[in-house]
Amino acid sequence: MHGPIAEVIQFIDLNAYTITFLFIVGFIGGLVSGFIGSGGAFVLTPGMMSLGVPGTVAVASNMCHKFPKALVGAIKRYKYGQVDIKLGLIMGLFAEIGVQGGIMLQKYILDKWGEAGSNLYVSVVFVLVLVIVGSFVMRDAIKMKSAQGETEARPSLAKRLQKIELWPMITLKTANLRISMWFLVPVALATGMLAATIAVGGFIGVPGLMYIVGATSIVASATELVIAFVMGLGGTLIWAYYGMVDIRLVMIILAGSLFGVQLGAIGTTYVKDYMIKYVMATIMLIVAVSRFFALPKYLNQLHLISLADNLVGLMTKISFGIMCFALLVGASIILTSLFKARRLEKTVAVNG
Amino acid sequence: MQNETAASKQTVKDDNPIGNTSLSESPKDRPFILAVTRNGHMSEHVMDYALNVAHRLQYGILAVHVDTLPLFSDRGKRSKLFAAAMRESATLFDQKARNTEVVVEHLGELGKISNVVSRLCHSKKRIEFVVIDKDIRLEEVARQSPVPVFPVLAAKTGLFNKAIFHNPPKKGVFAMSTTSKKRHLKSCVLFGALTTGLYASVFAYQDAVMTYFTKGGLFALLPVATVFAVSYFHGNFTSSFWSALGIEASQKSTAPRVAPDQKVTDAVVAPRPDTRPRAQVNA
Repeated sequence: MHGPIAEVIQFIDLNAYTITFLFIVGFIGGLVSGFIGSGGAFVLTPGMMSLGVPGTVAVASNMCHKFPKALVGAIKRYKYGQVDIKLGLIMGLFAEIGVQGGIMLQKYILDKWGEAGSNLYVSVVFVLVLVIVGSFVMRDAIKMKSAQGETEARPSLAKRLQKIELWPMITLKTANLRISMWFLVPVALATGMLAATIAVGGFIGVPGLMYIVGATSIVASATELVIAFVMGLGGTLIWAYYGMVDIRLVMIILAGSLFGVQLGAIGTTYVKDYMIKYVMATIMLIVAVSRFFALPKYLNQLHLISLADNLVGLMTKISFGIMCFALLVGASIILTSLFKARRLEKTVAVNG
Repeated sequence: MQNETAASKQTVKDDNPIGNTSLSESPKDRPFILAVTRNGHMSEHVMDYALNVAHRLQYGILAVHVDTLPLFSDRGKRSKLFAAAMRESATLFDQKARNTEVVVEHLGELGKISNVVSRLCHSKKRIEFVVIDKDIRLEEVARQSPVPVFPVLAAKTGLFNKAIFHNPPKKGVFAMSTTSKKRHLKSCVLFGALTTGLYASVFAYQDAVMTYFTKGGLFALLPVATVFAVSYFHGNFTSSFWSALGIEASQKSTAPRVAPDQKVTDAVVAPRPDTRPRAQVNA
C-alpha cells in the first residue's frame, strides 16, 4: 500500500465487456443502496477482481465510487425529508474511527494468520453478522407486514435507551427522537468496523439505527447514506493518497449507479416501511449463503480441511453467483414494488 | 408588493376608441372585474366566465395571480415555477380575450389573498366585483372585500365539465407549470451534455489521466475532485432523466411539504353573501 507499489500495479485495459459489466452492476448496486442505504459494494469488489483488477485497486475504486453515490442518494432523499443530517454526520464521524479500528484489527489478523486467515476472518464475520442481523430484521419485517402496520412502532430497546438521560443528550429533529450520544457511538463504531471488514457498513448501521437508536427504517436507510458518504470520502482520500484509485473504473460504475440510486431513492417514497426491512433482510440472508460457500476455500488454504481444487473453484464461483443473485433479487423487489405502487397511485388519482 | 404588470395593449389601443361609442368612459374609469387565483394557472372556466360577463357589461378584467407562499423555503424554486406558470396563464387569457373586445390586465401579487383583494379594491381600479378561482375560500376573501365576491365553480355536469377536477393528479410545486416535463427534459439535455463532456475528456486522455491521478500524495485530490464533478453533473442528469420519463417521487409523501389543499364545494354559483353592505369604492 505504499508509493512504489503503485508503479508495479497494472491497471487493466477496458473493453466493451468490462464496461457493460461494471455499468450494469453499478446500476443494480445503486438501486439497492438508494433504497436501503447501502449495498452493491460487496459484489463490486469481487466482480472487479474477476475482471483482472488487482485487489487493492478494486477495493480503492469501490470505495471511491461509494461516496459520490451516497452523496447523490443522500441529497435526493434529503429533498424527500428523510435524512437526519445531524445524526448522519455524528455517526459518520465515529464510523470513520470504527473504520480505522477495523483496518488495524485486519492488519493484526493478517500478521498473525496470513492472508487466508484474514479472509477466513472476513467470511466468518460476514456470515455471522448477516445471519444474525438479517434474520432479526426479516422477522421484524414479516411481523410488520402481517400486522398491516402503516407506521412502525418504536422498538422497545430503543424506547428504553431513549429514556436514559446521560450527558450529552442529542435531539434529532428529522428522526424525531432524543438520545444520549453514548448509545450512538457504539452503533457508529460497529458500522465503521464492518465497513472496513466487508465493505458494507450499512448491514450494521441501518439495523443499529432502527433498533438501538430508534429511527424509522426510512430515516435510518436515508441517514445511512450520509454515514456512507463520510466514511467513503475518508477512505477514498487515504486510498487515493497511495495512488490506488482507477478513476476510469470509478466513473463507469458511477455512470450506472447514479441512475440506480436516484431510482432507489424515488422507490422509498412509494413503499410501506416494512419493504425496506424486507429487501435488506432478503439481501443479507442470500449474501450470507454466498459467503458460506466461500468458507471452504480459506479453510482449505489453512489446511483445516482438504477438498479437491476443482470443487473449491466451483464453490467460489457459486459463491459469487449467489452474491449477484442477492443483488438481483433485491433490485427486482424494489422495481416491482415501485411500479406497482405507481400504478396504484395513478388509478386512485384517476378514479378519486 | 406588485411584481408584474402587463396590459394587453392591442385591445386597449384600438378596440374601443374613446368617445366613439356609447361607452363614453375613458379606460381609466372603466369598471373592472377582479379575477383572482392562488394557483399558477387560473382555471379556464374562471377566464371564460369573466370574459363573458365583461363582454356583456363592457367591463375590463384585472386578472391577479397571488403567490401565497412567497417565502417558501426552497431557494426560490417555487416562486420561479409560479412566475413561469403565471406567464403561461396570462398568455392563455390574452389569447381568449383577443376574440372579444375585453381589456385584460395581469398582475402578480404576493401575500394573503384577502389582503390583496382588499388593497386592490381600495387603491387600484373601479372594481365592481371579484371572481375567485377554486382553492380560495370564499369567506376569507369576502370578509375584507368591499365589493361582492363570487366563486366561479363549475358543476360536474354542464358546460365546464372538463375544466374542473377537485383531485388534481399532481399537487403543489410539481403541478404549477405544465412545462415541468419540458423543463426536466431541458436540464436532462444540459447535464447530459456536460456529463458526456466530462467522461469524454477523461477517457480521451486516459493515459495522461491515469499517470497523474495515480501518482498519490497531493495528486489524490484529482480523482476526488473528479468524482465530485461526476456526482454533480451526472447526479443532476440522472435525476432529471427519471423526472423527464415521468418517474417521480410519490405525491403522497411529498404532498405534506407543500400547502394543504383546501376543500372545494361543487356549485354552479355559490349563494351571494348578501349580509354584507354592498359598498362601492371608486378610485
